[in-house]
Amino acid sequence: MIEPIGHTTLQIPTFRLDDLTLRAPAMSDLDAYAEFRASDRAKGVGGPNTRVQAEQKLEALIGHWHLHGFGRWMVTETHSDTPLGVVGLMAPCDWPEPEIAWSVFAGAEGKSVAYRAAIFARRYAYEVLGWSTVISCTTPDNHRSQALAQRMGATRDGECHVDDVGRLLIWRHLSAEAV
Amino acid sequence: MTVTFSAPRLETERLILRAPEIGDQDVHAAFFMSERAKFVGGPTTAERAWRLLALEVGHWVLRGFGRWALEEKATGKFVGIVGNYHPVGFPEDELGWDLFDGATGKGYATEAALAARAYAYDTLGWTTLTSMIDPANTASAAVATRLGAAYDYDFTHEHFGPVQIWRHPGPDTAQRPTYYRSLP
Repeated sequence: MIEPIGHTTLQIPTFRLDDLTLRAPAMSDLDAYAEFRASDRAKGVGGPNTRVQAEQKLEALIGHWHLHGFGRWMVTETHSDTPLGVVGLMAPCDWPEPEIAWSVFAGAEGKSVAYRAAIFARRYAYEVLGWSTVISCTTPDNHRSQALAQRMGATRDGECHVDDVGRLLIWRHLSAEAV
Repeated sequence: MTVTFSAPRLETERLILRAPEIGDQDVHAAFFMSERAKFVGGPTTAERAWRLLALEVGHWVLRGFGRWALEEKATGKFVGIVGNYHPVGFPEDELGWDLFDGATGKGYATEAALAARAYAYDTLGWTTLTSMIDPANTASAAVATRLGAAYDYDFTHEHFGPVQIWRHPGPDTAQRPTYYRSLP
């Protein structure tokens, strides 16, 4: 038997916002996530994608926590554990600076899932991670996401370009002090 | 409440097998953005290279096993990725190896794969293992042959195209590494 000389441990915190739970992505989310990634809803976030790619992206959501110390949660309905979307903090390699990102799956709209989870992610960034500022990026034609950024109090602050998605509008959120 | 995962750290004669870390990013991206990655889905963009590193960690969490980053003991350098893998789109449990520039020709892939295979058979309790190899990747086929594996069947991967599936000797007959650890 090969005996390990040690272990690497990763911890992803879980939070409960009443009927919403923010937890680490899990294998049980793959069907819902792959369905989202295969749909036109994923157009603004590098999709649509095959199931092979969706699994890679689900795994990368988790890996982001390990590599960067923060990441995105699977937002689920607390009582059923049904996945509703992916919300949290991210800054993969070519991102201009860390952002609050949100994606909501079909059928989960209209419950303020993205808004409530994004407000929580902003609080986590400021209160737990100690950041002083944070952005969100939206594709130019993603008006729903832009409306959400505005609803959170964010304002336009330039643009950027990333490989996977192309041109992105940058929205600057209220600062830690202003929240 | 938190979700916790733990990846074991293994040692062989010349290598440490450990979870990928952020410090691996530049070397990892240099490989996957180069022609040398043509048999394993590359060359690719920086963004996708980042994801390929991050997903190695996620694979450990989702499936409870995965691939290790290889660290050369003599230099501390990150020289490759080897381990047990079964993503969507692979027909069977897989033992995979990617060795970066300057790390080939030293038997590192074989050394690490022997440890990873022993871990799969003796710790995870697996009963068989395959390796997916591009028909033109003679270097990889040579590693498989050294490990005692043999060509089994052809397969078409959704993204990689036509590949060969090589099968390793089973737990009863597979060679085990002779050296495990130097630490007491």
